[in-house]
Amino acid sequence: MSGEQPIRLSGSPDLKEATMIVAWAEDAGSLGVRTTDYLIQSLGCREFGEILPEGFFPMGGVNVVDDVARFPQSKFYVCDSNNLVIFKSSIPRVGWHRFLTSLLDVAQQDCGVKEIYTVGAMVSSAAHTVPRLLISIVNNKEIKAALEPYNVMADNDYETPPGQKPTLSSYLAWLAGQRGIAAVNLWVPVPYYLVPIDDPRSVKRLVYFFNSKFDLGVDFTALDAVIAEQNNRIAQLFEKSPEIKNMVRRLEVGDGLDGEESEKLAHEIAEALK
Amino acid sequence: MVIRYIKEPGLIDPVMIAAWPGIGNVGLIALDTLRRSLRAEQMAYIEPYQFFYPKKVIIRGGELVELDFPASEFFYHRSGKRDLILFIGEEQPAEGGGVYAVGSMAYTMANMVLDVAEKYGCRRIYTSGAAVAPIHHTAKSRAWAVPNTAGLIAEFKGYDNTVLMSDIEGRGGEGNIAGLNGLLLGIARRRGIDAVCIMGEIPVYLQGFPFPYPKGSRSVLEVLAAALDMWIDMEVIDELARQSESELTRLYEKLPDEIKQQLDRLKESTVAAAGSEGLITEEDKKKILEDMDKFFKLDGGGEQH
Repeated sequence: MSGEQPIRLSGSPDLKEATMIVAWAEDAGSLGVRTTDYLIQSLGCREFGEILPEGFFPMGGVNVVDDVARFPQSKFYVCDSNNLVIFKSSIPRVGWHRFLTSLLDVAQQDCGVKEIYTVGAMVSSAAHTVPRLLISIVNNKEIKAALEPYNVMADNDYETPPGQKPTLSSYLAWLAGQRGIAAVNLWVPVPYYLVPIDDPRSVKRLVYFFNSKFDLGVDFTALDAVIAEQNNRIAQLFEKSPEIKNMVRRLEVGDGLDGEESEKLAHEIAEALK
Repeated sequence: MVIRYIKEPGLIDPVMIAAWPGIGNVGLIALDTLRRSLRAEQMAYIEPYQFFYPKKVIIRGGELVELDFPASEFFYHRSGKRDLILFIGEEQPAEGGGVYAVGSMAYTMANMVLDVAEKYGCRRIYTSGAAVAPIHHTAKSRAWAVPNTAGLIAEFKGYDNTVLMSDIEGRGGEGNIAGLNGLLLGIARRRGIDAVCIMGEIPVYLQGFPFPYPKGSRSVLEVLAAALDMWIDMEVIDELARQSESELTRLYEKLPDEIKQQLDRLKESTVAAAGSEGLITEEDKKKILEDMDKFFKLDGGGEQH
């Protein structure tokens, strides 16, 4: 396996200076996957290939999620009319360099990708009512300048703390930089109590960014309906429980909750959104 | 998978000494102390990309400016009679995500280290690590020596404060050495190179904690000094050992009396000595570890059990 390309493609898409969006399945609130799924569905993207799992994932069985056996998937989708490639994958457990190199080979050699965007969530203690921020990490100054019109926070300083590791998105951006491909890691802080459920506002923030930047013509109707439904259910919870409403108000003004309160808020919101 | 040479020095009859992180970082501290004391110079490194996940990212003003990988570096020192090659790995290539090397990557790395040893004609290789033992942290650590051929047993029996597996009560000369310290011995044997793993003792109750244990490292250095017939400056390692003992003693004083009483029994323990009777049983050892884990709420691990 070591010498073979672990890639299976059904033809190369006809793209020029394309954009690639990358999402990892193991993201807080599944934000990356929800965002790319919305784009795939809205834009009518078609699947055109995959990175094969052998050598990247333990082959010791399958996980069962929501009663269904799951197997790691790493798939490429293309939307020819928008010059857009989407890659959606589980995070490999081993062989990261080979995996990312394979991903970049497809991006560069088969799709002519010029820019790569990864999407992901950060866990936040902010309230769900607060507008979602969009934070970027870039691998060159030119792409940073190109993000300026899009209301993206692009001036963070960060060093991996001891005992932690960089994200796979950072690794991908670094490797892309070695090949001269511009890369942006986009992060949205998701309210911690929505992480186990869904945060459609964060999805909208990302989709809105891509729609504005690449003039994709995305229809937001379905996403707005999900946001409205979530708002409605939380409003009903607030009516029933002024205590929960007060907790959220405190988060809105930057007052932290203690551990017990945080747990209660997360539990009540989860129950309300079931 | 590539070895990059920065220099290709001419070396006389070199010996290689290798170390990776492990319990108490006993081997790593020993070798790093030796490297500094000898002012050994870097000669080569193994490219990290195929073996390791990055260890650190640095972002400045929203721009990713640096991604660091664990280093696997070779150093050399010319002594005039028998030169040294030191290999220091910052991490073991563990495919399962653990601390110790397993899988094909570990095998590949061990072979790459030995490729350098063979290229320079090393006839002997030392690896160094920790031996978990029922000793107290105020006691002097012994060094356990495990050679990869019976022909080396007599030599290592002759060194002070050094024991073989068969000297350890209840082991009957058997045991295992986890990770690359062990793997390198096995692969060296296949290549016909003599190799010995020198392990400094670390108290059983510290095995699961992220504390360095330089007292164990000193014992490793003592054996290396004897085996290589060279003087090693112990000033730095002695200072590290003093600091470590002082910190451990401070921590020890905070332990509940019940745990302290159990651990105090280890002060009289000489179970690693040939022919002696252990003062703590396996059951005692298990209870000590459970109590310590409860106290610190941390998990244990093992390199040489």
